[in-house]
Amino acid sequence: MEKVIEVNDMSFGYTKECVLEHVSFYVEKGDFAVVIGDNGVGKSTMVKLLLGVLKPTSGEIRVNGKALESISKTGIGYLPQNGGSRAASFPATCEEIVMSSLYKKIGFARFAGKEHKAKVLEALTTVGMQDKRKALIGELSGGQAQRVMLARVLAGDPEVLILDEPTVGVDAESVDRLLHILHHLNIEKKVTIVMVTHDVEKVGPYANRVLCLSEGACREEALPAATIVHAHAHSHAHGNAEHVHCANCNHAENGAPAHDAAHCVECSHCGSFHEHIHAHVHMPHAPHEKEKTPSGKAASDGKEAE
Amino acid sequence: MPDILRYAYMQRALLVGVLLAVLVACLGTVMVHKRLSLIGDALSHSSLAGVALGLLGGFNPIVGAMATCVVAAFAIEGIRKKLGNHSELAVAIVLSTGIGLAGVLSGFVKSSADFNSFLFGSIVAISAFEARLVLILAVVVLLAFILLYKELFFISFDEQAAAIAGVPVGFVNAIFTILTAVTISIAARTVGALIISSLMVVPVAAAMAIARSYKTTVIWAAFVAVCSTLGGLVLSFYMGLKPGGTIVLIAVAFFLVFRLIGVLGGKRRASGVASDNASKGDA
Repeated sequence: MEKVIEVNDMSFGYTKECVLEHVSFYVEKGDFAVVIGDNGVGKSTMVKLLLGVLKPTSGEIRVNGKALESISKTGIGYLPQNGGSRAASFPATCEEIVMSSLYKKIGFARFAGKEHKAKVLEALTTVGMQDKRKALIGELSGGQAQRVMLARVLAGDPEVLILDEPTVGVDAESVDRLLHILHHLNIEKKVTIVMVTHDVEKVGPYANRVLCLSEGACREEALPAATIVHAHAHSHAHGNAEHVHCANCNHAENGAPAHDAAHCVECSHCGSFHEHIHAHVHMPHAPHEKEKTPSGKAASDGKEAE
Repeated sequence: MPDILRYAYMQRALLVGVLLAVLVACLGTVMVHKRLSLIGDALSHSSLAGVALGLLGGFNPIVGAMATCVVAAFAIEGIRKKLGNHSELAVAIVLSTGIGLAGVLSGFVKSSADFNSFLFGSIVAISAFEARLVLILAVVVLLAFILLYKELFFISFDEQAAAIAGVPVGFVNAIFTILTAVTISIAARTVGALIISSLMVVPVAAAMAIARSYKTTVIWAAFVAVCSTLGGLVLSFYMGLKPGGTIVLIAVAFFLVFRLIGVLGGKRRASGVASDNASKGDA
């Protein structure tokens, strides 16, 4: 499967102290990857690195096989945290906000044409907000505003969608609706999704990969590391995986539901997921080659973590 | 012909006033939505330092005002980036520096009347040269604003997303900064350094109360600014009032009336939505 994002031995720190140290992982085309981890572990920092807003101290990020220089050339769409609520005080209509994302298609110092307006309507229709296109964003509920913000990203036809905690501050019904839209995009339109979230219980059933950021055993060395854990495909009726594989030694932890991975379960075999901070943890793939459902993900095992 | 139009100086004042009102409303809309409402204050006060320098150095005070305004505007942008979460402090720091410099330098200016004319402006004493300057400026600023409208909208809405989408944020911000600085320095001569910042913010605040989109916010802001300017000039002509202060007070009156209309309209919309929801529920 084609790798759309590759992070190789990446480290980053705002000061001399590293927030992320020797992180390696990749995301394949068609993945619905969830990034989890405790507060302050560096999830949002990693998103900023993937977007090119921050530059790694060492290591590299490759998008579609090329070193990341400018995110605007990569086909990655980004939905920020609290995007909807932050927009609430801005006096713009949903249509105007979605139109802003068509910048690349329209061009510098040029004007939008009919085809751009049609694109805006299409994006709003995808998220079920076409009737509200003339409404001020501030007059919408948190969930509706978040869907408009999603439409704004979708209007740019992204191949990869990076979402930073999109379910924060959104009611349960709106979260379900948002996840259904994302699932549809992932399955029908083959959009690769990388979502940072704490809401693993809700998002887990839609995802085929869980990427866990944790200080883990490296905490003692003040060297946080990344670990990727595959929520295995032996799903039960509620869609929660029953096996979590250690990224380090590949040992399967039985009986650990997928959403427990939010706390990065310690491996009973090697003692830690994070013993080798240089570990290249390859996320398993193949679930998209098999039948995939919102609750069950892949119908059979993917490759194991190396 | 009405009395007010018989005088060449009033014709110039009306023309320059209307042009500046439109420019200031366009630039003010971007400023307010970039959460930099007080930048006008900082720049206009900094322009006074340039005026004092011009009067002391024997060159055109407007040129001095332009130079210090541009420097102050870039200083704000530079400091803003360094301060991160406390970026609004950049405006306060530059404003304080501008006031300090103007205060110290004004003490050396021999003709205090010249310096004071920049505080409250002298829109009815605009020379033909200044009128031409404003006309050229109006064309340049309006053209730039129309061409960069979508870029300025995107940057105002979400600067980071705009940068990610490939908008040349630094370049657009630099153009906007220069245009704002030049407009403020010229406007300081006409409507006054102490008043121009009000004219940049109050019409936008009024427009936001009733506008139903970003585009209509710009249009309403320009409408309020033009009406306030014309109303202020006419009233000051017939009633012997100070034009600058009258213009701003009319803009404030617009703000109060529009807020009232906005509140009443909002309640009506809210009740409309509630009845829509109720009827859907019944169905």
